[in-house]
Amino acid sequence: MEGFLQALAAGLLIGAVYGLMCVGLGLIFGVMRVINFAHGDFMMLGMYTAFYLFTAAGIQTLFGNAVGPFIAILLAGPVLAVFGYFVHLALISHVSGTRTASLEGEGHYAQLILTLGIALILQNGGLIVFGSVLASIRTPLSSSAWELGPFFDMSIFLNKARSIDMIVSLAIMILLSLLITRTRIGKSLRAAADNPTAATYMGIDVDRAHRTAFALGCGITAIAGGLLATNYPFHPFVGLEYVIVMYAGVVLGGMGSIIGAFWGGMTIGLVQQMSTLILPTQLQNAAIFAVFLLIIFFRPQGFFGRMVERT
Amino acid sequence: MLRIEGLSAGYSAKPVLNDVSINVGAGQFVAIVGPNGAGKTTLFKTISGIVKPSGGAITFDGVDLLAVPPPQRAHLGIAHVPEGRQVFPSLTVMENLEMGAMTESGRRDWQANIERIFEWLPVLKERRDQFAGTMSGGQQQMLAIGRGLASSPKLLMLDEPSMGLAPSTADFIFERLIEIRRQSGLTMLLVEQRVAEALESADHGYVLEAGHVVLEGNNATLRADDRVRKAYLGM
Repeated sequence: MEGFLQALAAGLLIGAVYGLMCVGLGLIFGVMRVINFAHGDFMMLGMYTAFYLFTAAGIQTLFGNAVGPFIAILLAGPVLAVFGYFVHLALISHVSGTRTASLEGEGHYAQLILTLGIALILQNGGLIVFGSVLASIRTPLSSSAWELGPFFDMSIFLNKARSIDMIVSLAIMILLSLLITRTRIGKSLRAAADNPTAATYMGIDVDRAHRTAFALGCGITAIAGGLLATNYPFHPFVGLEYVIVMYAGVVLGGMGSIIGAFWGGMTIGLVQQMSTLILPTQLQNAAIFAVFLLIIFFRPQGFFGRMVERT
Repeated sequence: MLRIEGLSAGYSAKPVLNDVSINVGAGQFVAIVGPNGAGKTTLFKTISGIVKPSGGAITFDGVDLLAVPPPQRAHLGIAHVPEGRQVFPSLTVMENLEMGAMTESGRRDWQANIERIFEWLPVLKERRDQFAGTMSGGQQQMLAIGRGLASSPKLLMLDEPSMGLAPSTADFIFERLIEIRRQSGLTMLLVEQRVAEALESADHGYVLEAGHVVLEGNNATLRADDRVRKAYLGM
C-alpha cells in the first residue's frame, strides 16, 4: 500500500512534466498539422541552454544552487522560443502552411524529411559543441524530500526538485490554457487550426499564427526539458528517448487537442512509475507502450480527440 | 467600389474564369448567378487571394487588390462568407464572431456590431456559448453571415448562402439579407444557384456560364430576358 501511494505520487510529479513536454509538441501539431521529428532535439537544446545559463552565465553565483536552476530553466523557454521562431521562418515555413495547402498530402513528405534532417543536425551538432559527457542541472533539492504524513502510520516522500518541477509545469499549463482560451492571439491560433482558409478570410495571417505556435511549442518543451534535467542526466542524443514519449502523449490525448496532450503525458508518467511496482525498471518503456496500445485499441481518437473531421 | 477587369484564373492548366469583368458600386446589391461549375466560387477565391489569377485586374476602393497579401484583404473591408459556411467548429458562436472582428474597424465597432447582429440573427444570441460545429446547417449559415458582418465590412461577399439548406431556411436567409441590406445600406455581392431568389433580392445581376459573363443587367432586365427565363426561372 505504501509502495503504491509512493509510486502514485512519483507518477503524478513526473507526469506533470511529461504533460508539459507533450503540450509543446501538441501545440505545434494541433495548430500546424506538422509532424516535427526534431522536437526532442529542441528539448535537448533547451536542457543545454538551461545548463549553460545556470553554470556559465552567472545565474548560479547570483541566485545560488537552490533557486538558480529554476530561473535558468524558465529563461531557456524564451531562448528556445526565439530559436524556434527563426527555424520556422527559415525552414519549416517553406514546407508548411499556405505554401503547401494546395499540394498533395499538404506537403507532409517534405515536412518529414526536413524535420528528420533538423534532428540529425541538432544531435550531431550537439555532439560536436557539447561533447558526449553526461551533463545534469544539479540542485541540492534533487536529493532531498518532503515527508507527507504520516497518515495511518504511512509516510509519502516527495522529492523536492520534482515537486517544484510539477508546480512550475502546472503554472505554465494554466497560463497556456488561459492564453489559448481567453486571448485574441489564442483564439486566432485555434481558428487557424480549425480552418486555415476561413481564417485567412477573417484577416488572420495563418503563416504568422503557425510561427507563433511553433515558437511557443519549442519554448514550452524547452522548459519541460530543463525541469527533467534536474533529475535526469542528459546528452546530445537524449531527444530520441523523449520524442517517442511525446508522440505517445499527443496521440493519447487526441491528435489536435492541445490540453489533451497534457493528460496524455500525465498518463505516461503515471504508467511509467506505477509499472515499477510489478515490473523491473528496464521494462518501464515497454509498459508505457503496452498501456498505450490498450488505450488506443479502445479509444482510437484519444482522450480528447474529436471524431468530427475538419471541414 | 469593386472593379474586376478581364480576370482570368484557374487551377493548374485548367482555366476556370475567362476574361471576366464585373463592377460593384457602393451601396449596390449585385448577384452573380449561373450553373454549377461556372466559376462563381473561384471568382470569390480570387478576390480573397486564395486563388492566384493568370490575368486581369481587381481594384477595391481604388486599391490594386492583387498587390495586397490575402490575409490583409479582410482589413481593407472585404468580408467573405464562404461556400459551405466554414465556421470554426471548435470555437463557440461568440468566439466565431470575435474572429470576424479581427479587423481594426471590427474591433472598434464591436459593441454596436454585436447588438445589431443579435437583433438581425437572434438565434446567435440564444446559442452564443454553443460550439459552432454542433449547430445545424441553417444556424451555421447565419453564424457565417454574422461573422462577416462583425468585421464592419465595406463589402459583404456571400457565396451560395442557400447551399444545402431546406427551402424554408433558405428563404429565411434571403429575407434576412434583404432586411440587413435595407437597414445598413451595406454593399453586397452574392453568388447563387437559386437564380429566382437571387435576382429578386439583388438590384443588379451577372450571368456567369463556363467562366464567361454571358449576360449583365439590372434585375428587371435579367428577369425579363428570354434566356434567363427559360434556363433558370423555368418559365
